[in-house]
Amino acid sequence: MLSKHAMRIILVVISVVAVSGVGLLVKAQLIPKSFGLYGAYRADAIDEEAQRVVRHGTNASCFGCHPYEAKTHLKGDHKTISCEFCHGTYSDHVKSGKKIADLPVKKGAEITTLCLRCHNTEIKARSTIVIKTVAMPDHLEQQKVKLTHNCNQCHNVHAPLKYINEAKKITGLMEEH
Amino acid sequence: MNPNLYEAQSTLSHGASMLISNYVFPNDLHVHWSMMIVLYPYITGLVDGAFIIAALYYLFDVKSLKPVARFSLLFAFAFLCCATLPLLLHLGRPERNFNMLLTPSPSSAMAGFGYIYAISMGVLSFIVLFVYRPDLVERGKKSKGVMKLIYRALTFDSDDLSKKALELDTKIIRFLVGLGIPVAAVLHGYVGFIFGGVKANPTWSTPLMPVIFLFSACVSGISAIVLAYIVIRKLGSLSIDAACIKTCIKTLTGFFILAFSFEMLEVFSHSYLKTGYHHMVEGLLNGPLASSFWLWQVKICSVIPLILLGFMAFVKMRDSIYLPISTIVSAILLLQVFIMRWNVVIGGQLMSKSARGYTVFHPEWFDKEGILAVIIIMTIPFIILYVLGKIFPFWGDAIKGSISSKPVRKTGGN
Ligand code: HEC
Ligand code: HEC
Ligand code: HEC
Ligand code: HEC
Repeated sequence: MLSKHAMRIILVVISVVAVSGVGLLVKAQLIPKSFGLYGAYRADAIDEEAQRVVRHGTNASCFGCHPYEAKTHLKGDHKTISCEFCHGTYSDHVKSGKKIADLPVKKGAEITTLCLRCHNTEIKARSTIVIKTVAMPDHLEQQKVKLTHNCNQCHNVHAPLKYINEAKKITGLMEEH
Repeated sequence: MNPNLYEAQSTLSHGASMLISNYVFPNDLHVHWSMMIVLYPYITGLVDGAFIIAALYYLFDVKSLKPVARFSLLFAFAFLCCATLPLLLHLGRPERNFNMLLTPSPSSAMAGFGYIYAISMGVLSFIVLFVYRPDLVERGKKSKGVMKLIYRALTFDSDDLSKKALELDTKIIRFLVGLGIPVAAVLHGYVGFIFGGVKANPTWSTPLMPVIFLFSACVSGISAIVLAYIVIRKLGSLSIDAACIKTCIKTLTGFFILAFSFEMLEVFSHSYLKTGYHHMVEGLLNGPLASSFWLWQVKICSVIPLILLGFMAFVKMRDSIYLPISTIVSAILLLQVFIMRWNVVIGGQLMSKSARGYTVFHPEWFDKEGILAVIIIMTIPFIILYVLGKIFPFWGDAIKGSISSKPVRKTGGN
């Protein structure tokens, strides 16, 4: 005959087993239905992701309504850069072919911050073959201007070398004479 | 920290100019696994080491460890309660850890930790309850109301303290401790494995990692027990059992020799084999980690304790000298293991995946994972320990006839 103590311990063991069992049941209930159909993820997630509204357009999606910027942009050194990187997403601006809100346009010092996100020499991983970088304030010192100058005061933001090449052409012509 | 690139760049340019750094990828500038991830292996390590001391007494019958055996169990329990805290604090969305546990997958290591943690928590709780049953029964008899109910639950509603019942308890304790050793080893080995399994990081990705973590875990846990025992007893003006401390220190010496040898072996095998990323690891240890690894971890916190431990092993000395030295050695070794975790976790992230540059780590005070958070997390186990001490007395000698492997109680109620 088992003592009362032994009975209690058997009860403890049974309750541990029962609690783990209930735990496993609850776990089974909480696992989403489609989990594991294709792999260790929810199969429904594929459909849900496919249903996501596309928020970004392409550069071409902007050209129709902004012919002036399109022209400059396509001719300049930034032609490979996405308009939306600098301005924000298409879906915040246009819905079913109509403008619904303005996109923010950066001003003043914000423009310098924007340019340096890509063109800063301090970002050591930038390869000079892919992108030219400048060190601040060295770049402004080399041009002999005040350090308060923003990038767009010399560079056209959409075609960064536009003015500079034009200026070189003029000075070049002058030098020939 | 705000990962604003503009800010990060200015800190980098500062740090980078001091080092031989070249290319650090923008996403490597910031150390993502910071102090919370240092604490996580540190805390589980303390649990493991403390449990080893208890196991030596309850399973391997090392009688001299009796004075600290029960305390080590409580200590392990208090720290185990907080083992997942740093991890949860590190997560941006802590509640999502349950998602991971719902759908464990063999290709994702972290869920496994959740399960092993739960099992070790269960095993340790039952060991504590069985070890303390005689005390709890006594206390239950003296209390009333809600407390009486609590004591009834904690003693599995069995107030049987007969010789037979206690013998059964002893068997169960031995079984649970026997089970607890592999569980504890897996728990902490797993923590090492989680780092060792990161293929992308050349300082972590070695099969030695779990082994190194396991041995240093034992070192930190045993040191913590020695230090806590001496400090708490001294504060309470209680006697200190020198024989017990001597056994602890001997065990500690063994584990520390193993831990330190493996730590050094890892470095030497890296530099002898000159594996793929060896130049990076070498640059790391001699560059950004030069002082925290070579000076602090190796010279100050390993070589000095090694000399002291050798001295304690070979030279006969009075207890009044032996005990203070034990206190100092344990304190240094606790620091050693912390620095070792730091050098592995944070040090390992100071090199860029570009394999060409190093970054710097700036600990912050008031960050979710900052220094203040570290201090708070490390105090919580002591608060738990203090509260536990109200129900589970630390020391056997405070109450007469506490449990030992041989039941000695005469007045068995029924
Ligand atoms: C359906 C036509 C349409 C499309 C497509 C469109 N826009 Fe616009 N956008 C407008 C109109 C209209 C304005 C308002 C013009 C104004 O205020 O001068 C505007 C204004 C802007 C402005 C703000 C100008 C300012 O001075 O405030 C920016 C920047 C801009 N668009 C960028 C874009 C970009 C980038 C895209 C492509 C992702 C885009 N737009 C696509 C019609 C369009
Ligand atoms: C390198 C970042 C960058 C890219 C790429 C870029 N923009 Fe801009 N854009 C700017 C900045 C900066 C301004 C504000 C110019 C200023 O104030 O000098 C601006 C101004 C504008 C304006 C407002 C002009 C005005 O006078 O108010 C429009 C419209 C615009 N951009 C459209 C576009 C379109 C369309 C594209 C893609 C074809 C594009 N941008 C690509 C940075 C960019
Ligand atoms: C999204 C990243 C990005 C941003 C933001 C950006 N640029 Fe550029 N920029 C580029 C890339 C990429 C090129 C090179 C394109 C190529 O060669 O096809 C480039 C080319 C240039 C060039 C020509 C360099 C040369 O000599 O070839 C200049 C000048 C320039 N950018 C200035 C600016 C200025 C000024 C701004 C701020 C208005 C700016 N960039 C913002 C990515 C960027
Ligand atoms: C004072 C006028 C001026 C300002 C302001 C200015 N730049 Fe320039 N930048 C130039 C000129 C001129 C060149 C062409 C230099 C040459 O071709 O030798 C140039 C060249 C560049 C180039 C190409 C560098 C190369 O190696 O070929 C980049 C990139 C550039 N600038 C980025 C910037 C950015 C980013 C800013 C703002 C932080 C900025 N610039 C502000 C005048 C300016």
